[in-house]
Amino acid sequence: MKTSCHRLEEALGSEDPRLLAAAEEHARTCEDCRRELSEWNALRAAAPSLRKSWESPPLWPRIEQALREESRKASSASSAAAGASTASAAPSGAAPRSALRWLPIAAMVALFSIATAGLWVFRNSGGREPLTNGWQTTQRPLLTDQAVDEVDAAEKTYVASIEKLSRLAEPRLAGAASPMMANYKEKLQLLDSTIADLKTSIDQNRYNTHLRKELIAMYQEKQRTLQSLMKEVKS
Amino acid sequence: MRARIGLRGKEFALTAVRGMERIAGSDELLEGCRQGSLPSFERLYEEHGARMKSIARNLLGSVPEAEDAVQDAFLKVYRGLGRFRGGSSFSTWVYRILVNVCYDRLRSRRRSIERPMPARIALAPAGEMDHPLRLSIEAALSHLEERERAAFLLCEVEGFSHKEASEILEVSEGSSRALLFKARRRLQEQLRAGGAFETSEAS
Repeated sequence: MKTSCHRLEEALGSEDPRLLAAAEEHARTCEDCRRELSEWNALRAAAPSLRKSWESPPLWPRIEQALREESRKASSASSAAAGASTASAAPSGAAPRSALRWLPIAAMVALFSIATAGLWVFRNSGGREPLTNGWQTTQRPLLTDQAVDEVDAAEKTYVASIEKLSRLAEPRLAGAASPMMANYKEKLQLLDSTIADLKTSIDQNRYNTHLRKELIAMYQEKQRTLQSLMKEVKS
Repeated sequence: MRARIGLRGKEFALTAVRGMERIAGSDELLEGCRQGSLPSFERLYEEHGARMKSIARNLLGSVPEAEDAVQDAFLKVYRGLGRFRGGSSFSTWVYRILVNVCYDRLRSRRRSIERPMPARIALAPAGEMDHPLRLSIEAALSHLEERERAAFLLCEVEGFSHKEASEILEVSEGSSRALLFKARRRLQEQLRAGGAFETSEAS
C-alpha cells in the first residue's frame, strides 16, 4: 500500500502513461490516492481555460512602426560609423584632422543654443504648463481637446452600462459565502481601486493615452468579471 | 500591402516585397527577419502573436502591459537576431525573449511603488473555455515562484512540450519537468486550502 502510494507521486512526476495507468489502477482501492489523482486531473483539465485571447488590431501597426524606427536608427548609426571610419581611414591630411579639432567646440555651441532655446520657451510659456500655450499646443504628442471630449463621452456611456451590471451583481456579492464568490468580490474590489487610481491620474493629465487605454482595459475586465459572475450565479 | 510598404518605409521596401513572395518555412522566416523584412516579422506576429500575448498577459496580469511586452520582445528579436546562433528553434528563442521581457517588467514593477496593477489580479476573458477552477488557479498562480509559474503557463496552459519549455526557460528538460511538477503541487495545495476543488465539484 505504502509503496503504491509512493508510486503515485512518481507517476505524476514522470508523466509516463504506463506509470499513470498503474497509479489509476491503484487509486481505485485507495481513497487518498483517488482524491489526489482527481485533484491533479481537475487542475490539468482547467489549465487550458487560462489561455487568453483577445483582438488587438492596433498592436501590429504599433510593432511595425517601432521596427521601422529601430531600423532607421540602426541605419543612421551605421552611416555615422561609416563616416567616422572614413574620416579616420583618410590619409593623414590636414583637413579631416582640423575638422575633428573643432568638433568639441561645435558640440558646446550646439548645447548652449539648445539650453538657451529651452529656457526661452519655458519662460514664455509661463513656466508651469508649456503644453497649454501657443505654438507648442500643436506639437502635443498626445490627445487633442476634441478627441478627449469624445473619449470622455464614450467612456461615460460605457461606464453607465457597466454600473448597471454592477448593481445587478451587488446583492449576490453582499453575502459572498462561497470561496468563489469571495474571489469575485476581492477581484472586483481590486479592479475598482485600480480604476479609481487611474481616474485620479487621468484627472491630472487628461491627454495621456496610455492611462486611458489602461482605464478602458480595467473597465473591460470589470465587465467580463461581472458577466462571468452572473453566469456562475445562474448555473 | 506592397504599395503601403513601398510608400512608408525605404528601409524595408525591397526586402519586404521579395520576402513576402519567398517566405515558406521557418528557415525562410528566420532569414527574412535577419534581413529586416517587415512581412517576415508580420508573419512571425501572425503565427506567434496570439500565444505571445496570452503568455505575457498571464505573467503580467494586464492587457496593456502584455501588449507592450510583446512589442518590446519584437524589438529585442530585431536587435538580437545577429546573435542568434540556432541553438534552439527560432520560435522558442522568440518566446524566451518574451518571457525575459516579462520577468524584467515584473522586477521593475516590484521596485516601483507607483504601479497600480498588483501581480495577483487575475484577468481573463472566459468565453466558452471557462472552467469553474479558472479564477482560483489564476489567484493561486501569484503564489508560485517565477519560473514555476512560467513552466506551468508554457506546458499546461499553452501546450509547449518539455523540450520547448526547457529551451524557453533555458534549463534542462529534467529541470523543466521538475519545475512543472512543483508548480502543479503548489497550485494543488493552494486550491485545496481555498476549498476550490469542492466548489468546482459542486458546480
